Amino acid sequence: MAEVEEQLPLSPQDGSRSECGEEPPDRGAVVGVAEPAPPSAGSPVTEEPAEDSKKKIDVLLKAVGDTPIMKTKKWTVERTRTIQGLVDFIKKFLKLVASEQLFIYVNQSFAPSPDQEVGTLYECFGSDGKLVLHYCKSQAWG
Amino acid sequence: MCCNNLRVKKCCFFIVPFQSLAFCLGKELNIHTLDDSEVAGICATSEVIRYEYHVLYSSSYEVPVLYFRACFLDGRPLTLDEIWEGVHECYRARLLEGPWDTITQQEHPLLGQPFFVLHPCRTNEFMAPVLANSQRENRNMNYITSWLSIVGPVVGLNLPLSYAKLVSEQNTKTD
Repeated sequence: MAEVEEQLPLSPQDGSRSECGEEPPDRGAVVGVAEPAPPSAGSPVTEEPAEDSKKKIDVLLKAVGDTPIMKTKKWTVERTRTIQGLVDFIKKFLKLVASEQLFIYVNQSFAPSPDQEVGTLYECFGSDGKLVLHYCKSQAWG
Repeated sequence: MCCNNLRVKKCCFFIVPFQSLAFCLGKELNIHTLDDSEVAGICATSEVIRYEYHVLYSSSYEVPVLYFRACFLDGRPLTLDEIWEGVHECYRARLLEGPWDTITQQEHPLLGQPFFVLHPCRTNEFMAPVLANSQRENRNMNYITSWLSIVGPVVGLNLPLSYAKLVSEQNTKTD
C-alpha cells in the first residue's frame, strides 16, 4: 500500500474538462482541494507521464443518492490500487467526516471487498476502455 | 458452491427452515496449496480460523441480518476481542467508536446457540440509495448479494466477484 500511494495513484483526465459544463475543473483548484489531506494519502492529483498509461486504468466515478459529486469524474488509477485506497481518496477529496462510510460499487450494486484491486475489477467489469464505479456515502452502523 | 477468492478455501450455501439462508464458510488465514514437504516450516505458524455465517431475516428491522461465529480448528471459539482483531482494518477504528452498536453476541434465533451479530440498524440507510438507483435505471438487482457484499467484508466474508457478474448477466439478458 505504502509504495502505491507514494506513486501518486490518481490523476484526473483531460477528457473530464469537457464533461463539467459551465464549471470546468481547474486543475489548480482540484489540487487545492486534495492537498489538505494527511500525508499518508500521497498527492492524489498529479499529472502522470504518458508512458505509464498502460499500467493504469481509466475510472469513471459516479455518485449515488445524495452523495456529493466530484467535479472531476474521470481518473487514471494504478492497477494495484485497492478499493480501500480509492475509498480513502474519495473521502478526502469530498472532505467527508470520519464517521461517514463510503462504499464503492461495481454494476451499481455490488461492493467489492476493500482489498480488491482496481485492475481485477477492470478485467471483470470494464467496458469501452474504462471502469465505471459508483460511490455512495452512508452512516453505516453505529 | 466453490469460491475462487484467495482467502476463502471453500464455502457452501444451504437452506435452513423458516426462510432463512445459512452461509457456511471455512476461511484460512494462510493459504497453503503446496504439498506438506514443500511447505514444512513455512506454515508452522499458520493459524486457521473457521468462520460460519448465517443470513437471517429480522422481522423488527425488516432487513437481513448477518449472524456469524468463528472457531480455531481445535474447536475453541473466538472471543469478541479476537473477532474485532479480524475486522478489516479499514472499518475497525471507526466501528470501535461504537462497538456495542456494531458487533454483539446474541442467541441465534433458530439454533439457540451463541452467535455474533452485525447490527442491522443502519441497513435500510445504506441499501436505500442503491435500491433507488437500480429502480430508476430499471436494472435487476439481487438485494441479498448486494447487501452481503457490503456487510460481509467487515467480518471477513469477501464475496467473489462472480456474484456481481451473475447479476450483470441477468441485466444483459433483459436488455
